[in-house]
Amino acid sequence: MWGRSYIIIAVATDPMAQTPFTNDIRTLRFLAGEMTQGDLGDKVGVTRQTIAAIEQGKYSPSLEVAFRIAHVFGKPLEEVFQWQRD
Amino acid sequence: MSFREKIHWIALVGLLSAFGWYFLNYPWEIANSPKGMYIAVWMLLPVTIIFLVPMVAGAAFFAIRSPKDADLKEDEREKGIHLRGTHLAYYPLAIGVQLNIFVLINGFNYGYAVTILIATLVIAELIRVGSQLYYYRRGY
Repeated sequence: MWGRSYIIIAVATDPMAQTPFTNDIRTLRFLAGEMTQGDLGDKVGVTRQTIAAIEQGKYSPSLEVAFRIAHVFGKPLEEVFQWQRD
Repeated sequence: MSFREKIHWIALVGLLSAFGWYFLNYPWEIANSPKGMYIAVWMLLPVTIIFLVPMVAGAAFFAIRSPKDADLKEDEREKGIHLRGTHLAYYPLAIGVQLNIFVLINGFNYGYAVTILIATLVIAELIRVGSQLYYYRRGY
């Protein structure tokens, strides 16, 4: 169901660097009835820790997971993730 | 902290305890003799017990405490962490095997060869588990 193949949409060259995009997942969770990271993780098919890492900009999710997150909130991808660095 | 991270911490402590005991107690003075090799092999029995008992007990404890976490499949971030750690562990493994070849060519064998192979595996495992814990702590 979840598929094994995925594409990394952003790879940081500096290991300590943040992802080159921001996200509104925290706000969207709050607006979605104060959904917890664990609940979102369950819906998307990842762990709570992975949602926390994405929220904090520490981890770039695969395109598939990014779309799944957007789908949970019923938003287009660019309303959840915003490119910051050019 | 995820279930897998907890298991990694137990593995790290288990590795350090079991093989710390092994290397501190190995009779190095008879290492280059057949007896040295047999002792090395026999010492692996308590090493396995020291390593496995806390691993099994810890995994059972955390699985009973939070069964939902224990049942979760490895997700893409964890798979990435897993692969990075395994990749890093390859280098000490390759160096250790070459060192062992060098040692055998130069007339050291028996217990030295076994112990160097064990040390190679232990260092590779410590780097694998240690780096994976680092990535877990960092986020990725």
